Amino acid sequence: MTTVRTPDPPAAPPRPAGSARRRDRPAGRRRKTQPEAFAFLTPWLLGAVALTVGPMVVSLYLSFTDYDMFTSPQWIGFGNFTHMFTDDDRYLQSVKVTLIYVLISVPLKLTVSLLVAMLLNTRRGGGGFYRAAFYAPSLLGASVAAALVWRALFMGGGPVNEILASVGWHTPSWVDDPQFSLASIILLTVWQFGAPMVIFLAGLKQIPAELHEAAAIDGAGAFRRFRHITLPMLSPVIFFNLVMEAIHAFQSFTPAFVIGGGRGGPADADLFYTLYLFEVGFQDFRMGYASAMAWVLLAVIAIVTAIVFRTAKLWVFYDDANDTGGRK
Amino acid sequence: MRRTSEGRSRGRAAGKPVRRGVVALAAVVPLLLTGVAACGSGSGDSGDVTINFVWWGNDGRANLTKKAVELFQQKNPKIKVQTSFSAYQAYWEKLATQTAGGKPPDVLNVDSRYLAEYGGRNVLADLNQGAGKTISLADINPELAATGVYQGKRYAIPWAQNTPAMIYDPAAFTAAGADPAKGMTWDQFAEATQKVSAASGFSARGATDFGIFDTTLEIWLRQQGKQFYTPEGKLGFTADDLRRYWQLAGKFRDAKGASPADVTASYNTSPEQSPLGKKLTSSEFAYDNLLPAYKKANGKDLNVAPYPTAANGDTGQYRRPAMFLSVSARSQQQEAAAKLVDFLINDPEVGKIVGTDRGLAPNLKVRAQLASAATGNDKTLYDFEAALEPKLGAAPPVLPKGAGAIQKLLQRTYEEVAFGRMSIDDAVNRFMSEAQKGLS
Repeated sequence: MTTVRTPDPPAAPPRPAGSARRRDRPAGRRRKTQPEAFAFLTPWLLGAVALTVGPMVVSLYLSFTDYDMFTSPQWIGFGNFTHMFTDDDRYLQSVKVTLIYVLISVPLKLTVSLLVAMLLNTRRGGGGFYRAAFYAPSLLGASVAAALVWRALFMGGGPVNEILASVGWHTPSWVDDPQFSLASIILLTVWQFGAPMVIFLAGLKQIPAELHEAAAIDGAGAFRRFRHITLPMLSPVIFFNLVMEAIHAFQSFTPAFVIGGGRGGPADADLFYTLYLFEVGFQDFRMGYASAMAWVLLAVIAIVTAIVFRTAKLWVFYDDANDTGGRK
Repeated sequence: MRRTSEGRSRGRAAGKPVRRGVVALAAVVPLLLTGVAACGSGSGDSGDVTINFVWWGNDGRANLTKKAVELFQQKNPKIKVQTSFSAYQAYWEKLATQTAGGKPPDVLNVDSRYLAEYGGRNVLADLNQGAGKTISLADINPELAATGVYQGKRYAIPWAQNTPAMIYDPAAFTAAGADPAKGMTWDQFAEATQKVSAASGFSARGATDFGIFDTTLEIWLRQQGKQFYTPEGKLGFTADDLRRYWQLAGKFRDAKGASPADVTASYNTSPEQSPLGKKLTSSEFAYDNLLPAYKKANGKDLNVAPYPTAANGDTGQYRRPAMFLSVSARSQQQEAAAKLVDFLINDPEVGKIVGTDRGLAPNLKVRAQLASAATGNDKTLYDFEAALEPKLGAAPPVLPKGAGAIQKLLQRTYEEVAFGRMSIDDAVNRFMSEAQKGLS
């Protein structure tokens, strides 16, 4: 089953099965420019240029300067970029912390959200309630409130300490100990699995029941059906969630800022990339360096996303044959 | 006034897209309206001026400060003061952003750690020039007033005076047979903290680990005739000094007199969230004016004591500018701004309103009046500094650019030691090399 692929799988973003052909057809006819369309787009265009494109261009320029927010920027070429990799231990620490966070939290969050989605998919009654209940934490999203509650839960003498102590495991304050601090942030991220879960759930409902029934009649057990039917059929959704979660994880800021006390946590254990960027720019007045850091982050996210897209050919299965089979 | 003219130019600029069509107009009108509405509040009768005034602190301080500003507006009906405040760390982030955006507040609260940062970059007005000359410094201790002068320019006026001190729980220390208020040596202090810890079964400790505090390191250095920063803005101590300081802190920690690493790491600058405020320790090095805030957080009847001393008895303490008031160099309302600064520093009524929340009044005449009438916490502080006055030295020169980052560096590197992730020697080396980079 896993070896069955579309004849020519395009390395394109995931799309709902079958919609691609319909979308491609009218493309030629839409060439004519519509002034009304631009009139309606004006508010958006104004916003995009003034609030996104403009600042991005300025920040690209600043990344080659020593801008300190108060005096006018001086051009220093690639100075910021070489400093980053040759003369800044904290920068390397922030890269390390962020990579660990991305590599652990993303797979963990995807696994948990898929398991919960499968659990909810089997439920008969009350599914709506549980869906809402599991989704709620991710509505809080990157909120300061959730992170503050997390800090209170995991601090010295907090509920987590008490519960672990009652089963004989005495731990220090999780959020204030360099060994545990990052783990507590990863747990917070994983707990907010609602968004990918809802998407997984929608994907699971799309899988035709006949496939499972046929396999069951052939004697396939639950695990085999999961391995050879659910996973391949769900792979476009997994792909989508993987890309989105990886990008989010690289950009994560609020939990580390709040849980780490606004300074990168104990002994820099929670020094996320974005946190260091913020500190350099807004606390140490090195905005040129911070801009350079932001562009390196953008480049890294682009590269990682590109790699994920390239490997998608190997494992993402688009079920075009199922939907358009009748027409072929 | 400034706001009105801005509003007009914004209106003109927004007029252009109107010609492009009704749809564009519909999109722009709301924007235009908010722009107009925002300007409306600023413009008043001719002759009126509006200035912005910002400070850091909590709600309690904000209430006192707003009352003082209210009084200023009553006495100066032509001047309107718009106020805002934030917590210490957030204050600096906001101020940096506003300044970079070209709209710094007219009157602002500045800390000695950031005076060079802002003054040295021409953000602050030289108060020896122009409107700043109207601010009276006649009744301020000249040594204290001089702490606002950097590279020959008076960028700031001290708003209050405090001194680094120890806040402690007298009941716990008396039970351990010690009286910090009378002064003690570092050895006696170490012994007392151990006894205090033991009395609680080590669930609470005698002292908050002071290895992370730049101020305590500074006082300890001053007790030996050394300094944290040289007048040229370089480190005034050697790797060996820092090693000995962290060894001293290590002695407290190993004997369980000082807080364990995870409690120490939870420290942040507000008394409410510090180990002493959370009842996890019985003493903490801070500033004397924070006594009421610590009392409120901790709940016990805390007191204030001088620093423990070396054998020679020198406490190393000094008349510290608790914080400064500055006027923005870009302010269009220098005169009104200078008037507000002068009022906040010299008016006896203001002194009565704000009490010792930020420290002692900078104006000596006002301070003498208040001291004689003081009660409660205020009296404790006046008595404490009065008794200490003959021993207080002059404040160190203005801290160099990067001093704010050095404080965080000290905390970070010491944590590596406290958690046992790094030897003292390695941590000292890291501190020295990063500090020298940061100060160059």
